[in-house]
Amino acid sequence: MRRLFGYEERSAAIFLAPVLAVLMGVAVFPILYSFYLSFFRIKLTRPNRTPFVGLDNYLDLFTNDLFWVSVARTVTFSVVSVAAILAISLLVSLLLNQNFRGRRVLSTILLVPWAIPYVANALMWKWIYDSGYGALNGILYQLDFIDKYMVWLGDQDKTIFLIANAFVWKEVPLATILLLVSLKAIPSDLYQAARVDGAGVWQRFIHVTLPAMKPGFMLVLIYETMMAIRHFDLFFILTEGGPGNASHVLSWHIYVETFRNLSFGSGAAMSYVLALVTFALSYTFIRSLGRKV
Amino acid sequence: MSDVPSSSTQVVDYRRRQRLARIAQRLIIFGGSILLAVYVIAPVTWLVSSSVQTEAEIVSVPPHWIPEEPTLRNFKAIFSATEEETVTYETRSGQDPAAGGFIPSTASSLLPAMANSLTVATLVVILNLLVAVPAAYSLAKIRTWGRNATVYFILITRVIPDIALVVPFFLVIRKLGMLDTIGSLVLTYLAVTVPFSVFILLQYFEGLPDELDKAARVDGCSRFQALIRVFLPLSLPSLVAVVLFTFLTSWNEFLLALMFTQTEASQTLPILLAAFTSDFTISFSFINAAGVLAIIPPVIVAIIFERYIVSGLTAGAVKG
Repeated sequence: MRRLFGYEERSAAIFLAPVLAVLMGVAVFPILYSFYLSFFRIKLTRPNRTPFVGLDNYLDLFTNDLFWVSVARTVTFSVVSVAAILAISLLVSLLLNQNFRGRRVLSTILLVPWAIPYVANALMWKWIYDSGYGALNGILYQLDFIDKYMVWLGDQDKTIFLIANAFVWKEVPLATILLLVSLKAIPSDLYQAARVDGAGVWQRFIHVTLPAMKPGFMLVLIYETMMAIRHFDLFFILTEGGPGNASHVLSWHIYVETFRNLSFGSGAAMSYVLALVTFALSYTFIRSLGRKV
Repeated sequence: MSDVPSSSTQVVDYRRRQRLARIAQRLIIFGGSILLAVYVIAPVTWLVSSSVQTEAEIVSVPPHWIPEEPTLRNFKAIFSATEEETVTYETRSGQDPAAGGFIPSTASSLLPAMANSLTVATLVVILNLLVAVPAAYSLAKIRTWGRNATVYFILITRVIPDIALVVPFFLVIRKLGMLDTIGSLVLTYLAVTVPFSVFILLQYFEGLPDELDKAARVDGCSRFQALIRVFLPLSLPSLVAVVLFTFLTSWNEFLLALMFTQTEASQTLPILLAAFTSDFTISFSFINAAGVLAIIPPVIVAIIFERYIVSGLTAGAVKG
């Protein structure tokens, strides 16, 4: 009979104590604390008056037009980016799954966007999109696609897609690496069998490759959706939510509300909503992943 | 139609089709490779190219893709930023204003910011190893109640978006009087990176045979000794992966640093870069040089340790 705290339990407890302490102190406590804060009206401009307001912060949130705008912008950004990431990384992983000279060099080069800090990535794309001297204007002008330089990021209809492009460029390498894992796991017998059955290249792709890549797709879908929903750096540097509110996404909204309007109570309420949405999304993704695979 | 050719003309036809298919495949692979290489490299090359151009050249329309008179002036300004090298608003008036070329007085903060980034990243790496290694070993090799619950708990903390943590983080850090210190960054980065480290290591430890553990115990090792003497020497690849990921994450982090840092005492490189991008008085080529400087260390690390990174990414992702 084992005791509740035998040698094994005690050593496990000692080994796990540091990690649990860190996560309790620096992840769980803050998230609970922010839940508590979300019931108060906390303005740093009025530090001594922090009245309890119950659910007001949440109610204000849902009646605030700008909040709903930011939700819509976040959805647009996430859907566009994740779709593009999936499509591009599928093609790239199919390419890198072939055997050819230069493949190793190519996969090493592919790590470059992944390694670059997001701020440097933002700086780079801001310069590419620059209305006066940027590369995008330069190249389109030289190829005669445009007859005068454009203010790319100042165009309400294009901004969010241009930011998404910068995001996609940086995220494709990771997605490709994840997809390659499931590609490499496909047994070659499957292709042989399909070939014997008379399946052509296209049919083998549709009936063998794609189904086998499903776990990889789900993984990329979950991970990249999480990253896109919470993304902040590019919005901060490229547009600050503008022009107008064309790129006013949820994370930017939280930042403005908290650190520019100094209204910590409603900032906390929004953070909480975002955290819950992320949890719900990852839970449903993981559940559907578990069922189908 | 059968695939098996029955007459000689069909054989020729079949062979020709096979050869065409092979050529087509090669063309697709070649074209795809070129396309991919350009897609990845072109933006970075453009950044590097415009970091070595003079201010007069960088404002040419259409742009000079290859600089005609490359200069290292911007990098020199960063590495030897002294009063004379720095062009301020006062000394600038002596020059032709149209030539631009304004190097901000904050150029001298770039190296301290890099040092801050390096210190933070190093501390986070060390703490990560100290915290994550025993945890991963315990989760992989010690079967007790509560083990699965702990794995799920760590998994869940990985899903919390950092933007949702900034408000409570900020208030807690402010209460502790740790605003504008390196400590605030180390503490929060640790919480952000530790779950991933645990999963990389857990994956690896689980792959090592249980018999190793049993043998060590029979020989009289304590749990701690078994970990230090038997498992650590065997798990070098996963340790390297943990070091790399933690280092890169800390080096690249922006949002939390933006909240907590205010002065040169704690500002990291990304913060300074971000400040440059919104300052319209600074010359474009200087901003680009600063960007290049921020890109170089992580890119070199990634290229050297490519193998470890790829295996670490897949291990961490499969679990998480």
